Amino acid sequence: MTRNGITTFLFIAVTAIFTSCIREEAPNAECDIIAVKESWLQENSSFLSGKPIISNNAVRLYVKEGTSIDFLKSLEPEFELTYGAQIAKNNIEENGGRGVKMSYTTTSEDGAWSKNYEVTFTIQSVIETGKPFSFEHFRFQRYHTWYEIDASGTELNWWASGNAGFAFTGKKPFPTAVDSTGVSGNCIKLTTCDTGSFGNMAGMPIAAGNIFLGEFKSASAMKKPLEATRFGLPIIPAEPTRLRGFYKYTAGEIFTDKGKNPVENKKDTCSIYSVVYEINPNDFVSLDGANVLSSDRIVLVAQLENPGEPTEWTEFDIPYKNANGKIFDLEKLQRGEYAITVVASSSKEGAFFEGAVGSTLYVDEIEIIWNNK
Amino acid sequence: MKRILTAILAIAIAAGLDAQTKKEVSDTDKNLINAALKGWHIRLSAGYNIGGTAPLPMPREIRGIESYNPGLNLSIEGTVEKMFGKGNWGMRWGVRLETKGMTTKAETKNYHMEAWNTDGSGQVIGAFTGKVKTDVNNTYLTLPVLAVYRINERWNISAGAYASYLLDGEFTGTAYDGYIRDQNPTGEYTDVTRAEYDFSEDIRKFNWGLQAGVEYKAYKHLALFANLQWSMNGIFPSDYGSVTFTLYPIYGTLGFTYLF
Repeated sequence: MTRNGITTFLFIAVTAIFTSCIREEAPNAECDIIAVKESWLQENSSFLSGKPIISNNAVRLYVKEGTSIDFLKSLEPEFELTYGAQIAKNNIEENGGRGVKMSYTTTSEDGAWSKNYEVTFTIQSVIETGKPFSFEHFRFQRYHTWYEIDASGTELNWWASGNAGFAFTGKKPFPTAVDSTGVSGNCIKLTTCDTGSFGNMAGMPIAAGNIFLGEFKSASAMKKPLEATRFGLPIIPAEPTRLRGFYKYTAGEIFTDKGKNPVENKKDTCSIYSVVYEINPNDFVSLDGANVLSSDRIVLVAQLENPGEPTEWTEFDIPYKNANGKIFDLEKLQRGEYAITVVASSSKEGAFFEGAVGSTLYVDEIEIIWNNK
Repeated sequence: MKRILTAILAIAIAAGLDAQTKKEVSDTDKNLINAALKGWHIRLSAGYNIGGTAPLPMPREIRGIESYNPGLNLSIEGTVEKMFGKGNWGMRWGVRLETKGMTTKAETKNYHMEAWNTDGSGQVIGAFTGKVKTDVNNTYLTLPVLAVYRINERWNISAGAYASYLLDGEFTGTAYDGYIRDQNPTGEYTDVTRAEYDFSEDIRKFNWGLQAGVEYKAYKHLALFANLQWSMNGIFPSDYGSVTFTLYPIYGTLGFTYLF
């Protein structure tokens, strides 16, 4: 045997020893609802509206106007689960006058893990006119999540933040949080945070605090972070004319680029804006971090210019301006072809991991003024 | 460190050849002969380490080894051997400079990971499913103490223990093409393209284990050997959260010994 031959033989021998030590695969430890079964969605398409939104602990299904609550209570949705997982329904309760909440528990194949899911069927609402978003309704489980309550008492999970992504860093406090010093009651405090070892490992050294109408898809948070923030919901009641609210802001001391290198003479700034854009109601594709202010689907934009650093609550009142030469069309609105988002972030370039750790934005009482014609 | 070892090895071989060709009976040689007559032998060895820094048994979270590269791990050793009386038993001890390293690519499923943020502000905890590339490259100063049994003129076997001090440690890795779940398998899910980590700073300075080997005296001054070093402690502290399974350096050495 040549020397090369011997070496090759040894490599193979050692690899074989390692490989032969591979033990039998353990049963699955995960217990996810992966999807609502396509066949079930097909069977019930007559009253369902849009696609189900599935997160780690919730499944949100929307139904058409006029669907009765008793009928919703009788539904037995079917789910695709992680291989080997089991599911059990615990109870059903009404969610105000326009929806039901079902609670389920899933258990993993290995029996060691289980989690609770909230499955909701909700008649899709639109934003109530004449009422600001006051951020008084929230839950806390490791981090805050916010919801709205409509006139019928139904909870609507419209607000999203990047907190679920930040959770991976193991750090506290979270970038998006409740603060009790609001203009009235509580407000939202957005802080640009260092993401520590985990963030560095992933090439995402900072996380700006953000809050927006839409959905945060944490599955994309590391791989395609711009796609994780899905801005916008089809909840427009009329043509918006002005975006009002209150804010105060302090920029962090050292502005850093995406490599966490300090950038001299650059000051962080916050962003507050709202966008209305066109959608296909049968195939809703939201705008995301990459195109929320640049897409050619945008019809109206209201954006706070030069926010500065007011240390006291400061009111903003900004008009919606037409974009891409498009005019808001009431007929399109009737057909459900518009979506709207409202976004606030403690670092304007936070989506690109540029900003200053410590930048803090408070927002409260955000209200959209609608054209009543 | 590899370069240093290569240089030392080259010098050692050159020196050996030099000593052979001159065939002069210098004072040094006389001293060596006198020592040998009293059962003392001085030896210089060079070898190649091949093996793994691996968990035992293989945890069920590891689903496959995609690739393994032993790297170039050299070992250079000076030992003294003392045979007792006219019997076949003796002792061998010395000092060895060696590298124990490897690169592996493995598939994991639901691999529990923990890491403290460097600023102490919190702990990353998760379950990773996907691929992990591991690079280990540790250089040790090792003191072996062995019992030797001479089977015949040509063959001898040895067994004993070794203690190693880490001179230079490297343990880096990349988790890629997979996903992580926050805290545990029920936690929030996120896809992972690539995440790199470096635990070099946390490698234990001290490593010890058992060693056994066989040696064949091919020529008057040259022997070939093979031995196995089986570590008894892991390369990370036992309560180390970032690598939850104990990794034992288990290496075989092949080489030759110059017998003075």
